[in-house]
Amino acid sequence: MFLISELVVLLGTNLILSQALGISTLFVAAGSRKNLLWTAITISFFTTAGSFGACLVNSLLPDSLYDLRLLLYVLIIGALYVILLTVLYFADRKNFGTTRKYVHVSAFNCAVMGTLFTISDKAAADPSLDNLGSYIAAGAEAGTGFILAAFFLMAGFGRLNSKEVPAAFRGFPSMLVYLGIISMAIYALI
Amino acid sequence: MQNKIKSQRFIWIDIMLTLLSLAVMEYFYYGSRTLVLGGICIAAALVSEIISLRLMNRKFTADDLTCISDSLILFLMLPSVFDFKIAAIASVFAVVVSKNIFGGRKNTIFSPAAAAYVFLLTSWHGNVLMYSPPHVHTGVFDKTENLVSSASHIFNISGRMDYSNFEILMGNFSGAPGAVSILLLSVSAAVLLLRRDISAGAFIGTIAGTAFLAFFVPVCSNQWDSLKYTMSTNMVLFAAIYIVADRRTAPQRNYYAFFYGFFIAAFSYILVLTTAKENAIVIVSVLFTPVALGFRNLEKRIDSLVKEEKDAEDLWEAIKSGEVQLPEIEEVEADE
Amino acid sequence: MNRKNSVFDGFIRDNAVLSGLMVISPIIVCGDTVMNAIAMIYAFSAITFISVLAGAFIPKKLSYGVKTIILAAIGAVVYIPVKFAAYDFFPSVMERTGIYFMLIAVNSLITVHAQVKFYRMPKGKMTVSLISHILGFDVVLFIISVIRELVAYGTFCGRIVDADVIISGLGMPFGGFILLGLCCGIYRSIVGAVRKNDDSAGGDSDVSDF
Repeated sequence: MFLISELVVLLGTNLILSQALGISTLFVAAGSRKNLLWTAITISFFTTAGSFGACLVNSLLPDSLYDLRLLLYVLIIGALYVILLTVLYFADRKNFGTTRKYVHVSAFNCAVMGTLFTISDKAAADPSLDNLGSYIAAGAEAGTGFILAAFFLMAGFGRLNSKEVPAAFRGFPSMLVYLGIISMAIYALI
Repeated sequence: MQNKIKSQRFIWIDIMLTLLSLAVMEYFYYGSRTLVLGGICIAAALVSEIISLRLMNRKFTADDLTCISDSLILFLMLPSVFDFKIAAIASVFAVVVSKNIFGGRKNTIFSPAAAAYVFLLTSWHGNVLMYSPPHVHTGVFDKTENLVSSASHIFNISGRMDYSNFEILMGNFSGAPGAVSILLLSVSAAVLLLRRDISAGAFIGTIAGTAFLAFFVPVCSNQWDSLKYTMSTNMVLFAAIYIVADRRTAPQRNYYAFFYGFFIAAFSYILVLTTAKENAIVIVSVLFTPVALGFRNLEKRIDSLVKEEKDAEDLWEAIKSGEVQLPEIEEVEADE
Repeated sequence: MNRKNSVFDGFIRDNAVLSGLMVISPIIVCGDTVMNAIAMIYAFSAITFISVLAGAFIPKKLSYGVKTIILAAIGAVVYIPVKFAAYDFFPSVMERTGIYFMLIAVNSLITVHAQVKFYRMPKGKMTVSLISHILGFDVVLFIISVIRELVAYGTFCGRIVDADVIISGLGMPFGGFILLGLCCGIYRSIVGAVRKNDDSAGGDSDVSDF
């Protein structure tokens, strides 16, 4: 019962299905199932590690410099971007050509930046969430939500690209409608 | 192939007969307005099916009449006093958005009626869940003043239902007109199961899942009452037959279909229990579409693996019996 | 003919939203009213135009990753004055657009498309192509917001219109998903039909040229 309640919460707070954050990235990665899964995992890394940085920025940045928040978040993600590329390069040079693509696609997009802003706004509204643990948990939850949405898309991938689908709607348009109907069901549930 | 087409048409006829019997029951309880509402749903679905197929450069055939059964399923879930225009919009949504955009009847991803019902719930929540009481016959253009909440809603909130067993069996309580006639739905389920028109695994999984949870995690103090009322409210039986067990969307193997139905039942029961969400099973069935697709992908993979294994076995048998001769190693090397 | 096509591709043939599915989150979530759309159009046009033009001066020798970070940082800097101006132009809309106004600063036209497409063109051609891409986004967002506001709320620019049936779900994000999917399909079929005509016309000219 607890698991199902948690699953409903995860669906309800899913940034892709409820706020369309990172939907473009999801479609960019939707070329193949493998791309989709690895991109989702890389985005989860960025949302989780980025939320740690966002917490630091929010605690150190004075209110008068609030508008610099976006720039600082960009710099945090930029630093993570460089770190991840470096780690991947030294960890597995052979496959670096492939793995770096996932990092390029996953770093600067609405899914990652949107997660950082959503978490920050929630923490600003509820002081009990304004701590490092809550930030990282929310970042990991957002990343998990992205993986869940990627699984939804992967399950329907074959059918949505089938030759039965009218040529004009094959691929992205039918994926949008498919995600729209699932998002509608989540909205009806909550 | 001919047999397959024939059997698909027989499935459709069987389903239509059971749906029409439910529609007749609805007419008995709510009067002539229901006939007009049903007619509008069917006409809107048919017209949109013909137009959308034409736009897709496809011919309209007898098989495409499934849009009528989809619109009838939708109609049976709507209150008898439901707005005609909105019902027509929902029928168009069922056919165009939730079916034909994905390729129509050969590539049905969502249950069209369930998706259209969820669409109605999100845009006209108040209209969809307010019903006229049974035996209140409304004129075609009249509007009932005293609409009531469904018995499901009251049961979800209070855990009580003040109806006799006979009334429950006959569907003499407020709620979605086509989904309350429990006796008729039970007969329909038996007929469709015996004729193999619906997925037995998905249907049994849904019923078993609901019954199991209703008994062991009861909504009310008495376990048997919980079981009885849970099965007869929130469109559980109706959705189990016409939405979850729909052969077009459910997994093909009964084994997987059972778990698919069971998960839907468990998820929707817990939602009803924790949030009192009315008719949660219909929403959950749409939400579980990726699960059904995942099971279908798994079935496809298993089938291809089994086929590969069988081919390999056949080849081995042929080699052993001398029907096929392997090339000599030198020949292979020379070829390379 | 070819030059004209390539420069104006971003407006119709290679539309950022309908063809590339770029920057669709603001359309899905904020494109539910015309006023929201106008504010987003202003933010997107100003931030993207200035950022991409400024980014053209980044040394080409730098690696892709470093250039991406610099472009995103430029977008974040340009966002600050654009936001201050927006509070003067659209004070009521700013609250509603929420984080999407900020997310415009890291849109894929700046971080990805600029390097992949714009910076490979000569500066003049790049500017025209950039403008056509921006206009392509603006027009799609405007059209979608008009449809959604009319159908979902029965209003146009906040004024009540005599709408018979209101489909409130279309104002929600899922309505945006579905409507955008439908628009993409319709756009593709129109572009497909036009290309077919062009191909047949082009085929004739090829023969005569030969």
